[in-house]
Amino acid sequence: MDRFRLLVLSEFRLFRTAIPIHVVAILQPTVMYVLMAVILVQPTFDMEVDRPTTPEGWALVRAMEEVGSPIGDPYIQPVLVNWDGGPVSRQVVVVEAKRDRPVAVQVYGLIDSNLVKNFRNRLTAAALRLWNSELGDRAVLVEEHPWLPRDVPYKVYFGMALLPLSAFVAAAFTGSILMAQEFELQTILEYRLSPVAVSLILGARLTRLVLSALIAVVILILVIGLVTGFWPRAVGSVLLILLPVAVIAGCMGVLAGLLFRRSIPAFLVGLVSGFAGWVLGSGFGLAAGFGQAYQWVSRLTPFAHATELLFPYYFGASIGRPLFSALFLATLSLALLALTALAYRRRVTAEV
Amino acid sequence: MKRFWILLATEFKAWRHDPIAAMGGLIPPTFLLIAFGLLFGGRLTFKVALLDHDQGPYGPLLRATFGEVLSPFGTPYYDLVDLSEDQAWDAYAAHRIDGVWVVPADFSQRLEAGQNPRIEMHFSNYNDDRAKNHRIYSAEILWRFYEKIGLPGPPLALAEEYPRPAMIDWFPVISVGIVLLSYMLGGMINMFMLTQKEQVARITLEFGLTPRSMAWVLVPKLLVALIMGLLTGTVLLGVVYLWLGAWPGAYLWAVWLLAGLVILFWVPITLLLGLRARYFAGVLATILTGLTVFFIGGGLSMVRYNKANVPWFSWLFPNTYAVDPLRDLILFHAWPADWAPTLLILAGFATLSLAAGLGLTARELRRLD
Repeated sequence: MDRFRLLVLSEFRLFRTAIPIHVVAILQPTVMYVLMAVILVQPTFDMEVDRPTTPEGWALVRAMEEVGSPIGDPYIQPVLVNWDGGPVSRQVVVVEAKRDRPVAVQVYGLIDSNLVKNFRNRLTAAALRLWNSELGDRAVLVEEHPWLPRDVPYKVYFGMALLPLSAFVAAAFTGSILMAQEFELQTILEYRLSPVAVSLILGARLTRLVLSALIAVVILILVIGLVTGFWPRAVGSVLLILLPVAVIAGCMGVLAGLLFRRSIPAFLVGLVSGFAGWVLGSGFGLAAGFGQAYQWVSRLTPFAHATELLFPYYFGASIGRPLFSALFLATLSLALLALTALAYRRRVTAEV
Repeated sequence: MKRFWILLATEFKAWRHDPIAAMGGLIPPTFLLIAFGLLFGGRLTFKVALLDHDQGPYGPLLRATFGEVLSPFGTPYYDLVDLSEDQAWDAYAAHRIDGVWVVPADFSQRLEAGQNPRIEMHFSNYNDDRAKNHRIYSAEILWRFYEKIGLPGPPLALAEEYPRPAMIDWFPVISVGIVLLSYMLGGMINMFMLTQKEQVARITLEFGLTPRSMAWVLVPKLLVALIMGLLTGTVLLGVVYLWLGAWPGAYLWAVWLLAGLVILFWVPITLLLGLRARYFAGVLATILTGLTVFFIGGGLSMVRYNKANVPWFSWLFPNTYAVDPLRDLILFHAWPADWAPTLLILAGFATLSLAAGLGLTARELRRLD
């Protein structure tokens, strides 16, 4: 056991040989989350309204203030302006009389159909409130039955889906570089000549990679919590779910290093498999919502399974097939462990 | 002049021995393009099931309304999926569809009698943005439905005025941001890799010993990086053309001018990095800088219309200023209204960076210790 402890410590000391890689591997998904959190859409839009001069105009402003989620954020923040008819940067709503009838004209400066859609829908929702109130008992009430007791900010899902990537990147990047460096710096010779069992050496390396991955995950959990106010219900369970992801990533990194023996190609394997897996594996939304083909591909990645297993801890509701996902992650991590051990024997021990 | 051509040819030869320098500016942006294309290039409609139990005429009329109301994308807000009641609830529970609308049996009867007709809207709200869309899309459907069934008109009619006859989707907007990233990374990676190689091979020492002005060494390096940046970005622009049909046509020279100025801002910084950083760490830092600037510098949305949401630090990079004029040229074949100020700002950025970067590099190279 002492030998194993020493080997793990020695693995951690390798940090000094590739400091920038370690910093990037551990912090990159967190930095990406912080950047994306700044630019991800908010449900509340500032909507400029030309200062009304009629009762209908003021009624519209009041209706705009009421548009929103009953269990979340308001959707419109009306901003009164004195518009002179000049160029418009985003949009401005002007209530005017056309053919003796009040009309809310939405004057756009925007050319992006996504934003135009968002502004148009919001104005329709506000004007519909006025119409409904005039129709009284004849108005159709849309009775809302949302799935969760409150609307959850998208930043929470986005962050949660980044947790598997965070574990993957930390273990795969570091694993691939450290392994490739052994060949580049010729230190692999020491391992070849070592009388210590392969399982001990490989075990120490993977233990250290898994621990690095879990450190990266904890950092991201903290940042998600600070940004959104949402914390996982049980941090221990979250780490347990991400443990096989870290093992899979660590094995892939070590395998890439063993196969390519050069830093750049080995690193590229980690980079491409990590980010492709994240994009295809429910990184932006639940796989089921993207169609059958996407869902099928998604289920081949550990990311989709880990995200579905993490879901209850952030949202309080289960999705997918948890038992199947857990089995998938466990089986894949064991298979990759065996494959890595085999590759290590062939590339290191057998080549003396 | 001969000296200049010799050094320029040397730089090109060095590049030929390291062609991966060209891929560094191409691989990350291509990957981003594919990822965003998969995510935002498709139909942005909700798949919902409509369970119509209505015994009267208004349920089918409501069903017909779903297909009639079009979003600014030119597609309906909702795709109604044809499922039995059990299948619909199963699909909803498995998140294969976005929602279920239930029209009760007495819907028409209540509507005719003015007795508070109701519809149930079941939807997922794990993403507040999509939940918001469910709520505001339903308003569009109801608005059209009221008009169709001949209810008294609204107290306030709605009208719209647009600056252009056609709008642009989100993915093309993003793709131009990615093209700019490719221009930038193409120049940076080239500059970093060649300089780093020269540093490792101690050729930089020879540079430092030159009795001539350091400009003879640095200008060819800048020129090669600029050409490689323009080449890389233009290749990606070609990919965008094949995918989306967006190409600047006769405005290509203007695209090159704007992109060239952005490249000239970034390459002197990378030149300094190449003299100090280790190979792998430097490549990584370069790519991550590019990606970060893409995200915060208007890569994902039009800067002009989102100024309030642009963080202050984004204005410290030329990309934020260049990206919208590039969109004008590539997506609309239109001359940017802010062409002259943009050009001045970009020229200012480039001059500042060239002066500082080249000055510091020359000093660094002259230090022989």
